[in-house]
Amino acid sequence: MNDPHRPAGRVLDAHLHILDRQVLDRDGVPVTTVDDLELDGIEPGAPIEPDAPPPTVAAILTGPDLATRIFGGRPPESRHIRIPWKLVSEVGTTIRLGITGYILDATWTERWVSEHIIARIPGGRHDPE
Amino acid sequence: MRRIFAVALGILTAIGGFVDIGDLVTNAIVGSRFGLGLAWVVLVGVVGICVYAQMSGRVAAVSGRATFEIIRERLGPRAGLANLGASFLINLLTVTAEIGGVALSLQLATSVDPLLWVPVAAFGVWIVIWRARFKLLENVTGLLGLTLIVFAVALFMLSPDWGSLAGQALQPGPPADEQMSTYWFYAIALFGAAMTPYEVFFFSSGAIEEKWTEKDLATSRANVLVGFPLGGVLSIAIAGCAAVVLLPASIDVTSLSQVVLPVAEAGGKLALSFAIVGILAATFGAALETTLSSGYTLAQYFGWSWGKFRRPAKAARFHLAMIICIFVAMAILATGVDPILVTEYSVVFSAVALPLTYLPILIIANDREYMGDKVNGRAMNLIGSVYLVVILVAAIAAIPLLIVTGAGS
Repeated sequence: MNDPHRPAGRVLDAHLHILDRQVLDRDGVPVTTVDDLELDGIEPGAPIEPDAPPPTVAAILTGPDLATRIFGGRPPESRHIRIPWKLVSEVGTTIRLGITGYILDATWTERWVSEHIIARIPGGRHDPE
Repeated sequence: MRRIFAVALGILTAIGGFVDIGDLVTNAIVGSRFGLGLAWVVLVGVVGICVYAQMSGRVAAVSGRATFEIIRERLGPRAGLANLGASFLINLLTVTAEIGGVALSLQLATSVDPLLWVPVAAFGVWIVIWRARFKLLENVTGLLGLTLIVFAVALFMLSPDWGSLAGQALQPGPPADEQMSTYWFYAIALFGAAMTPYEVFFFSSGAIEEKWTEKDLATSRANVLVGFPLGGVLSIAIAGCAAVVLLPASIDVTSLSQVVLPVAEAGGKLALSFAIVGILAATFGAALETTLSSGYTLAQYFGWSWGKFRRPAKAARFHLAMIICIFVAMAILATGVDPILVTEYSVVFSAVALPLTYLPILIIANDREYMGDKVNGRAMNLIGSVYLVVILVAAIAAIPLLIVTGAGS
């Protein structure tokens, strides 16, 4: 508690409190799971200067990043699917976004399956009875 | 008054919903070979499923998170994926067994080859998942499944020698002509049938489908603590019927017609028709639950939108995954494989998969970040841990016993 470097406010462990948590949108609809995080302010492999500013979380990564976290490696830059961290409104047992998830890149497979398959089957657009 | 009605309905559906094709077939096989010598396993299994179903329902109601979200969050992507792979494949085997069971019970009613019924059964499962409300599908199949009580009635009508039945139940152990390894193999199969992991996926996801809050926990606890034990009594009645009729005549259970034979002998056509309705409802209900569970596990691991409370277009990948699962189950059955055989393997592999589901639940039920002050009490942790040891032993012993006994033959 007397650690002078300890920041004010709540301390989150990225590994423990953010990775692999469910991301919900403004309306509580699941968007994705936090497959990985993108950090700004550090270069992988480069030495960190003692007086360098702390890195910041830039985005939640999903899509191909799940496969690379399981099997190793890094997806090419163009293949990342990002949810900018500035869209996050709350971090709890889930990560809440302040916007609707339907417009995000992260939900394109959901939209594709919905528009091309599920919505075309009779009854697909209706509430269950 | 409405609350009493809700509790009664919940209990009744829990009774009817407890029995599935695995319980039906395994109990009949065990009854026909060991009498009631393995009835104690059903008791052990029922207590276990009560403890863990109740725990997973509490976790879901308090934290709002379903089982596989938690498994992913706690185990990380790699171990979580391994867990998903095993749980999903075993669940798919169970889907196949249940749809096969629906086809077999339709065959029992019509004498039409079950292969012809498989597409009908599969379509029926899909259309109900596609269109029916969650509460409706659970209540209808659960209540119709109650007609399985005819097995208990039949047991009384057969007027068995109660003393010798009690003797079998109270002095567990294999009869002289059976080996110890076979006895333990069936003990594990019966345990796996009673504690099937899909019950937990379904129970915790169902709590979220029905938007449970902490207020609903008392109702759910009553449903589980009264309904499942009575379902266990039904299971023992099925074994008892087999013990009275099939064991003395040394009839092997190789199809559903042997399972219902004692009922037909005791109560004739009327009792038989009740049994067929009950088996149809039980297998159909379980086919719905297992198919939904396959969608739940996938969607929760990957963070997709899921749930029957959404229209299908709003949970598209969840519905597509279930459609694919139903097709795969149909394809497996179309090869002409015996659904009874699929069932026997599915219950054994269920026993293998049990720790994968139950350990994460026990861990999260003790996590204050998720549970606040609703974490497990000491007694619950004690019994949960004892069961975890039992489950681990059963899971480790299952495959070796399967090989040694040649799947119980």
